[in-house]
Amino acid sequence: MATRCSFENSHEVGVFAALTNSYCLAGIGGNENFYSVLEAELREHIPVLHATIGGNRFVGRTTVGNVRGLLVPNTATDQELTHLRNSLPDKVVVQRVEERFSALGNVISTNDHVALIHPDTDRETEEIISDVLGVEVFRQTVGGQALVGSYAKFTNQGGMVHPRTTVQDMEELSSLLQVPLVAGTVNRGSDVLGGGMVVNDWSAFCGMDTTGTEISVIESIFRLQRQQNGGAEPMDIVTDMRSSLIDQLS
Amino acid sequence: MEGPTAVDVPVDISSNDANARMVQVLCCLCGISITPNSANTCANCLASSSDITKGISTESTLHQCKSCQRWHKEAGKWMACDLESRELMALCLANISGLKSSKKNDQRIRLIDANWIWTEPHSMRLKVRLTIQKEVHTGTILQQAFTVVFVVRNQQCMECQAEYRQGSWKSLVQVRQRVAHKRTFLYLEQLILKHGAHRGCLSIETFGDGMDFYFPDKGKAGRFISFLENCVPTKIKTSKKLISTDDKSNISNFKYTNFVEICPLCKDDLLFLPAKTARNLGNIARLVLVKSISNLINLIDPLTGQTASMNVESFWADPIRPLITAARSRMTRYVVLGKEPVFLRRNVSKRATSRKQRTRLANLSLARESDLGVNDKQFDELSYVGYLMKAGDVCVGYDLTETQFVDDDAEEFRAAGKLPNAIILRKLYGGVATGESDAAKKRIWRLQRLDVQVAESMKSARAQKQEAEQEDMDEEDFMREVEADKEMRNQMNVYKSDALKQKKEEEDAAMDNDEDSEDDQEVQLEELLENLVVDSGPDPEDNPENQEGFASYEEGEKAAKDGIRYVGREEARNMKEKESAVPTKAFSDEYDLSDL
Repeated sequence: MATRCSFENSHEVGVFAALTNSYCLAGIGGNENFYSVLEAELREHIPVLHATIGGNRFVGRTTVGNVRGLLVPNTATDQELTHLRNSLPDKVVVQRVEERFSALGNVISTNDHVALIHPDTDRETEEIISDVLGVEVFRQTVGGQALVGSYAKFTNQGGMVHPRTTVQDMEELSSLLQVPLVAGTVNRGSDVLGGGMVVNDWSAFCGMDTTGTEISVIESIFRLQRQQNGGAEPMDIVTDMRSSLIDQLS
Repeated sequence: MEGPTAVDVPVDISSNDANARMVQVLCCLCGISITPNSANTCANCLASSSDITKGISTESTLHQCKSCQRWHKEAGKWMACDLESRELMALCLANISGLKSSKKNDQRIRLIDANWIWTEPHSMRLKVRLTIQKEVHTGTILQQAFTVVFVVRNQQCMECQAEYRQGSWKSLVQVRQRVAHKRTFLYLEQLILKHGAHRGCLSIETFGDGMDFYFPDKGKAGRFISFLENCVPTKIKTSKKLISTDDKSNISNFKYTNFVEICPLCKDDLLFLPAKTARNLGNIARLVLVKSISNLINLIDPLTGQTASMNVESFWADPIRPLITAARSRMTRYVVLGKEPVFLRRNVSKRATSRKQRTRLANLSLARESDLGVNDKQFDELSYVGYLMKAGDVCVGYDLTETQFVDDDAEEFRAAGKLPNAIILRKLYGGVATGESDAAKKRIWRLQRLDVQVAESMKSARAQKQEAEQEDMDEEDFMREVEADKEMRNQMNVYKSDALKQKKEEEDAAMDNDEDSEDDQEVQLEELLENLVVDSGPDPEDNPENQEGFASYEEGEKAAKDGIRYVGREEARNMKEKESAVPTKAFSDEYDLSDL
């Protein structure tokens, strides 16, 4: 189930939150509205915690993680690191990386099995990613954009890429990630997918501007309806949109 | 985890190569699949969600002067333009706010088309249909049509204000000529019309022996006077009258009166020059005709064709009274019986093939028209217009045999038999020559007239009637003069008359010019101008056609002439105020009025 929400006045919820299958980070805002929305959806399953990185609240762009671990940039202070380690479940490894690109969320996009990284990322970072997150790492671009974390978003169920991606690129990415992909937008036509939404295997949060069409694309590609309907039968939207969404199943 | 699956929506194969490789995305609003663009929205959704006419006013006001029908352009400037004309369209477009100012920013609006829409003539509205294009996102161009309504408001222009205000003139030009007829003023009128010299004139009044021109300031009067000086020999006297003065601010208010006296000599007057003057003018004969009047007095010896010019100063230093003024009562009609060209031996180079030079002079055998059938009196006279004549032509001239001169010198000359019997002035053309009663009406050309007020006179009805008759005769005489003088016609605007149109219909324009090829003075069709529009009727308010413009056009006719589409009455009814925007592939050419 995809939920529309906004962080203060910003619809770029992916900037202020990071969501994985085992935890959720939320930036500290002036009020708790955003946090409450996340908490209401996720409290039953995973911890939702307030966090800052280097004193900044845009935790979604500076960190990257999956069910196994969380990577924070070198701007994160020891205190913040301690707070994260204390608050996150014990099995989640929190690791600081000495990477030139400090906005890890922009340069890395990952699910629990595969990660795409910016082609210019350090080799050591690449190793840390594969060790800590336990994923296969590929240096890739999406639709001509090197910032794969911003322009691609995928979970274990499926993924969305930048709308300007070519068919060939998409087939290639799909075979790398082993999940179905679709080109799409959030926030009424915005192509910055990583910034516009956060998503895990059963829930998604996207900006208030997101239109119904975009929501339905998000829900269908990330398979979010099944949780709603107990997995018995997909919602109508899936059957309806399937023909237009899914061209080929390779 | 499922097997590898690549999902995407069908690719539009028909689109070009670059797009064919691109994935289709769903329009974020309506969900149809499109090639991705910057808004990731299909063009139709963009069009429906954006109004590119935003910021452009759809109502504006134009000011028109009710009395002179001119339109206010900017900053007190007024422009005359027809309804539906390009000029008016340019004026309208300049008045739409938001259309021009938007050019400053990057996403400027392109005006693609502008049409006129029919409006009820008395509604005081003008409607313009505009089509604009604007790029809302990179590569997405929207086109939208909308109607702009202009409210026409009456506002009197400065000139008309001045005209209706009493005593608003600052400078008066009184033009006078001390002669019995008004031909000079008729001629002057034509010159004024041709050169538009009366522009800026508040009003024109005509008197028995002249005209008054009222001007709002000294400069305009000065311009008019210098125009007069270039046209006719004049003597000018300027006086001013103090109206008010403010000593503190050193401002004084004057009214200027310029008295312009025109030399009393007119074209075709016969002069008997004093011996000394004749000697000074290149030893010309003493008996001369005034050939034409410009800022010089041009004289010609009718017997030899010798010409001389007298300047204004020397005339005023020693004014000459004409021996015979060119009045109809002094002229005699002659019938040409025969012509013999005169060849002069001239001092030409020896290589010339012929040593005989043909001249305009000819020896004419003439008989008075009144003598025909009565007696066989004939005259043989040289004439400088002899080349125009052929046997059977009718011409006018002065009969010196039966005239009594006031001038003693001239009288002596005649007694000594030194004067010719007749002096031919000009040939008569058309119906005038054959003596038709409606000759004036059948003339193929006509002249424009100035709008003048006649000064009220305290004369009896009989005197007024006589005056009117005199005026008609002067006018007719003037027309005859013009008819026989090409040079004169060159200085004025000569228009085709209604009579010509009728004649054309009757005769299929079968003009037989070939037999008269030597006559270069006759009115030719080519010199005549089209479309003289005369204000018909004294009261222009009663005439709706006059109110609308200078020339009356059918609805849409002027627009068609100016290449602007005109939306007719029926079509206008079904027209929406604002169409919804539609996406277009590329920018169209911009609507261009720059050639104005």
